[in-house]
Amino acid sequence: MAAQQGDVDELFDVKNAYYIGSYQQCINEAQKVKPTSPEKETERDMFLYRAYIAQRKYAVVLDDIKTNSPPELQAVRMFAEYLSSQNKRDAIVADLDKKMAKSVDAANTTFLLMAGSIYYHEMNTDAALRTLHQGESLECMAMTIQVLLSLDRVDLARKELKKMQEQDEDATLTQLATAWVNIAVGGEKLQDAYYIFQEMSDKYSSTLLLLNGQAACYMAQNKWEEAEGVLQEALDKVTSRYLSQLKDAHRAHPFLKDYLAKENEFDRLVMQYAPTATA
Amino acid sequence: MLTKFETKSARVKGLSFHPKRPWVLASLHNGVIQLWDYRMCTLIDKFDEHDGPVRGIDFHKQQPLFVSGGDDYKIKVWNYKLRRCLFTLLGHLDYIRTTFFHHEYPWILSASDDQTIRIWNWQSRTCVCVLTGHNHYVMCAQFHPSEDLVVSASLDQTVRVWDISGLRKKNLSPGAVETEVRGISGVDLFGASDAVVKHVLEGHDRGVNWAAFHPSMPLIVSGADDRQVKIWRMNESKAWELDTCRGHYNNVSCAVFHPRQELILSNSEDKSIRVWDMSKRTGVQTFRRDHDRFWVLGAHPNLNLFAAGHDSGMIVFKLERERPAYAVHGNMLYYVKDRFLRQLDFNSSKDTAVMQLRSGSKFPVFSMSYNPAENAVLLCTRATNLENSTYDLYSIPKESDSQNPDAPEGKRSSGLTAVWVARNRFAVLDRMHSLLIKNLKNEIVKKVQVPSCEEIFYAGTGSLLLRDADGVTLFDVQQKRSLATVKIAKVKYVVWSADTSHVALLAKHAIMICNRKLESLCNIHENIRVKSGAWDESGVFIYTTSNHIKYALTSGDHGIIRTLDLPIYVTRVRGNSVYCLDRECRPRVLTIDPTEYRFKLALVNRKYDEVLHMVRNAKLVGQSIIAYLQKKGYPEVALHFVKDEKTRFSLALECGNIEVALEAAKALDERSCWERLGEAALLQGHHQVVEMCYQRTKNFDKLTFLYLITGNLAKLRKMMKIAEIRKDMSGHYQAALYLGDVTERVRILKNCGQKSLAYLTAATHGLDEEETVKNHSYVFLKVHSDINAIAAKGKAGQMAADLDMDAPGGEGWGDDAELQLDEDGFMDAQEGLGDEGVGREEGGGWEVEEDLDLPPELDLPAGAGGGAEDGFFVPPTKGMSPTQMWCNNSQLPVDHILAGSFETAMRLLHDQVGVVNFGPYKSLFMQTLSRGRTCYLGLPSLPCLRSHPQRNWKDCGAKQGLPAVGLRLSDLISRLQQCYQLTTSGRFEEAVERFRVILLSVPLLVVDNKQEIAEAQQLITICREYIVGLTMETERKKLPKDTLDQQKRLCEMAAYFTHCNLQPVHMVLVLRTALNLFFKLRNFKTAAGFARRLLELGPKPDVAQQTRKILAACEKTLTDAHQLNYDPHNPFDLCAASFVPLYRGRPVEKCPLSGACYSPPYKGQICRVTQVTEIGKDVIGLRVSPLQFR
Repeated sequence: MAAQQGDVDELFDVKNAYYIGSYQQCINEAQKVKPTSPEKETERDMFLYRAYIAQRKYAVVLDDIKTNSPPELQAVRMFAEYLSSQNKRDAIVADLDKKMAKSVDAANTTFLLMAGSIYYHEMNTDAALRTLHQGESLECMAMTIQVLLSLDRVDLARKELKKMQEQDEDATLTQLATAWVNIAVGGEKLQDAYYIFQEMSDKYSSTLLLLNGQAACYMAQNKWEEAEGVLQEALDKVTSRYLSQLKDAHRAHPFLKDYLAKENEFDRLVMQYAPTATA
Repeated sequence: MLTKFETKSARVKGLSFHPKRPWVLASLHNGVIQLWDYRMCTLIDKFDEHDGPVRGIDFHKQQPLFVSGGDDYKIKVWNYKLRRCLFTLLGHLDYIRTTFFHHEYPWILSASDDQTIRIWNWQSRTCVCVLTGHNHYVMCAQFHPSEDLVVSASLDQTVRVWDISGLRKKNLSPGAVETEVRGISGVDLFGASDAVVKHVLEGHDRGVNWAAFHPSMPLIVSGADDRQVKIWRMNESKAWELDTCRGHYNNVSCAVFHPRQELILSNSEDKSIRVWDMSKRTGVQTFRRDHDRFWVLGAHPNLNLFAAGHDSGMIVFKLERERPAYAVHGNMLYYVKDRFLRQLDFNSSKDTAVMQLRSGSKFPVFSMSYNPAENAVLLCTRATNLENSTYDLYSIPKESDSQNPDAPEGKRSSGLTAVWVARNRFAVLDRMHSLLIKNLKNEIVKKVQVPSCEEIFYAGTGSLLLRDADGVTLFDVQQKRSLATVKIAKVKYVVWSADTSHVALLAKHAIMICNRKLESLCNIHENIRVKSGAWDESGVFIYTTSNHIKYALTSGDHGIIRTLDLPIYVTRVRGNSVYCLDRECRPRVLTIDPTEYRFKLALVNRKYDEVLHMVRNAKLVGQSIIAYLQKKGYPEVALHFVKDEKTRFSLALECGNIEVALEAAKALDERSCWERLGEAALLQGHHQVVEMCYQRTKNFDKLTFLYLITGNLAKLRKMMKIAEIRKDMSGHYQAALYLGDVTERVRILKNCGQKSLAYLTAATHGLDEEETVKNHSYVFLKVHSDINAIAAKGKAGQMAADLDMDAPGGEGWGDDAELQLDEDGFMDAQEGLGDEGVGREEGGGWEVEEDLDLPPELDLPAGAGGGAEDGFFVPPTKGMSPTQMWCNNSQLPVDHILAGSFETAMRLLHDQVGVVNFGPYKSLFMQTLSRGRTCYLGLPSLPCLRSHPQRNWKDCGAKQGLPAVGLRLSDLISRLQQCYQLTTSGRFEEAVERFRVILLSVPLLVVDNKQEIAEAQQLITICREYIVGLTMETERKKLPKDTLDQQKRLCEMAAYFTHCNLQPVHMVLVLRTALNLFFKLRNFKTAAGFARRLLELGPKPDVAQQTRKILAACEKTLTDAHQLNYDPHNPFDLCAASFVPLYRGRPVEKCPLSGACYSPPYKGQICRVTQVTEIGKDVIGLRVSPLQFR
């Protein structure tokens, strides 16, 4: 890590834009930057395609990454494929299971990340954590934290966060992960989380991801009016095209999934009650 | 010690500050007196009349005068406005050492080597008193600033204090005549009455060079060749030596008291200036020069300024910085004053001391950095030796008593500058000039390698501006890299705009404005020191120099807004108010006129509507604005300002506005105007205007030519006629030539006597008439064709011009169109790409299948290996989610719904309020559930993270959480109003529905106190009463009213309705219905009862009047015609299902939630009011507050 501390990361802007959810900027930066080595070029492409994935432009990714592309990019392609078609997911997961069963090249962080992402989408948190455990990069750790939080294991998430902080406390990912953990911890940490999002907005640009985070902080603090303001700001940022895309995506949104599940549960439970007499 | 100004000259022997203007007089050893402006750093004037060194110099406090005394024994009084010596006072017999004006009387005090001190009246220009007594050179003599005293110092080793009250009485008492004073040469003539020695101060053991009074205390300071500075105290009867300051190692030439602080300044031939603490008598500061001995000191009477004269010039200096340390955040100004951190609210002007600073540093706070997130400040203190500088990190107390603020413990460390870089990080530039990042505990988090750097400034989150010798670098602390650099020498302050899109870099004499990327937008040079600045809300930078408030636009335009008497430090600019701190640290608000820069800003931003609005409404006239506009290339805007036709005309010409110019020219009607207009119009091809101009100026030649080139032959012919009339032969001939009219030419030549030429012409074009005609037509053709060619060319030119006009437009349009095409093409391409992608996808899918085929055989053993690998990583089990905790922590149904635990929620509702039919609760459940969680994004492309807002988030810890409830009692109560309105407007069914939703929502409330529990229960009662009543009324309206029994039933129901507990406004309506029905049924007695109840409610006058009429009618026959099942005097409950009265004492079943009553047969059925609960069910009761479980 010493090398990382000393050197300037030429892909900093690309990565940073990706992590804070500024995908178009990530793409623009990636197209602008001139990597100094083939490794860096692959790394850049990885972020470029992941930004496309985040924009749901799966076709670009599937099309651009060829069979002769580096294994890192193949992994990205796998994730794009997974997300793009609902009905092929089982096959992809089965394939992934097999790959994971073999010994995996732990140096291919991208593969670990993509595999972890797929498992997480499958809500197979065990497999996701097992996969991410093999990686040492900040992003592996950040994803681990996210999975742990979804398991309500704030205690473990904090431990993982500490590791991240030891590696690079000021990194964007560490900061973001700190915010997530802070939200989960609650109490006065909520304000800290808010400031982290606010600072990133100040420093780079305010994105939906950051505004969303701020709104969550506000709501957790019962500051509903403020939250509404932030959400309105976020809405104003969304172009109508993007909005319809989002609506499309809503069907798969965990929030809505939950909602529908609960609705069914309600209907089932209603049957358990009845008046003792009828009119 | 801060040097403000330095001069180089011959030895400076005398100095005097002007009390008001930024001037200082220096008298030189070479006989010259210099007048300097120390703020502008310029020599204003030189006075060279003395012969030999000038040692005494002094400004008069009010008049434009100064006095000087020199080695030529002369005292000269000068007027600096007239720039000459007014007169010379003669009398001293040796060098004159000092000359001073009296602050009040028209006196001059002079000290001389002739061992005398003399007092002169400069109005009568005579010597009024000679003070003798010293027996060696008198080196210095000064008036007391308020009393009738003089102090003098002499090489006889004494300091003397003289009482001159006698002199004042004698000369200045009413009735004193000038002549009486004349001829005072022998002071002792009338005894020692005029001026007597009061005290002789002996203590120096060498000659004394200087003595001065303290401005307010009875103290004297003296400096002598014994290298000592002595302080003396005196009272009415005696004077004694108080203390001695030792430290100079050569003759002390001058010593003065600091006008406002407990300090003494002295200077000496040992080439140093020393500052002494008066109370401790210790040296505080020493300032040395390498080669120059100091001779004289001067203190400014009002300002914190001093001057010192030495062998090769003088310096003007101050002892310490006067800039207050301050920081602005939002509406708050934080500043340091007298060891307190104060907070000023710009909006309310509330100024409070928020904390007391830790004492211990003798240096004032140099700079401040404020952190709004943590409400913490960094205060930097600079020591004389930079390496000893420190900073303090304080957390500002949240609440503080302004009168006696807390003094929180700060954290102090050494470092030149400390600046926040994030909410929990600050950067420190340490004395080794390396950069440390520290956290809130003041612990070093990391060290950052930076390019050479001597100062750091704030630059937004995560960034810093680093200053080195010749530039400023924007440095990203996280990435540890330089992002941009700009060249500017010695930046002192940095001011960011509110949105940090622009930054102003302030150096001593320069301002540079850059954007966020540190690209220089403009560069402004100032002759006077730049002091401070702030951005106004429209993006104009307002800054101050020592004597001006100025503005700068990012485009580089700058100018003066107003002048200042004293420097101020701008903290904020809003509208036309400039908020600032002055040197005494007082917050002030100055008003400025922002019109000029707003105007320029609007111009730069091309907001012409704004510009025109300002032009019309602001008083913006003036040559400077017009000249500015002209210079900046906006003559068309300037046009709007100008009333003066002449200027208007030239502006119009400048911007090519021929119409306006023509108008102006018509108004002016001057030959020169027409000529200029003609030229301009010709250039633009306005030949009609050109024609008019030529006509007005009677420029026939040009006019003729104009007609020729425009092909206007008819007019050309007219011109020929005019020329003929005017007897302008040459013009006439020329026109004929143009027209190709040979006969005319022959005629002209003949007429003017050029017969031979006429003949020659005729012969050239054919001898006889016919030939002439022939040739004539030939020539004519030729010329004419030329003319046509010219005309055609002109036309072509015009056409071409027209085309040119069109061409760019066409291109622009074309560009757009093409661009669109491109975009379309691109879109298409993308779509194509998409299609291809889809095609490939299938291919990819196939590939995957291919992959699938291979591994199964190979994979089984590897799979086992993978299993073994799992050994060291055990995936964690799922933790306890907040929602589970909510269920554990609460017995309130809503908390369970929010947690998504519908099963337990239903059980609770069932047990508490007897809900058995949950159908109607569905939407309430689902709505509530949605409120229970928020989603936010973690890593991109991953399912979002969830958070659970909790109502006790502040203090619940990890385990005690309870969900935030969106539904509030007050919301439900306010919704009641809508239901009332629906009721009033008779929309009963809708109203019932709404009431029911409120009723059903009540068990989903969470309230905090008993009062609210009662209110919630009351809310249920209200809803029940209305639902029962309105349902019954709806029912009643559906019933037939054909038979008497049917009518009786209707009346009964109307009567029961009046026993529902409704709002008065509704009760009035209900009672009226019942009254009317009963009246019609001739049940007058009961009707009268309704009427009385109605009147008690105080209905509207018309209703009341009618009711009284009916009541009167009823009272005539106070009987009931029919027997009804209604006894108003016997209290009853109403069965909500059958709508019959259940008189008290009879068995009744109640709804466990609404409390609605039912006759026993209905037990076990669904409550008609709530539609969810079971009638007569045994329950715990409504639970809406944790209080109910204690």
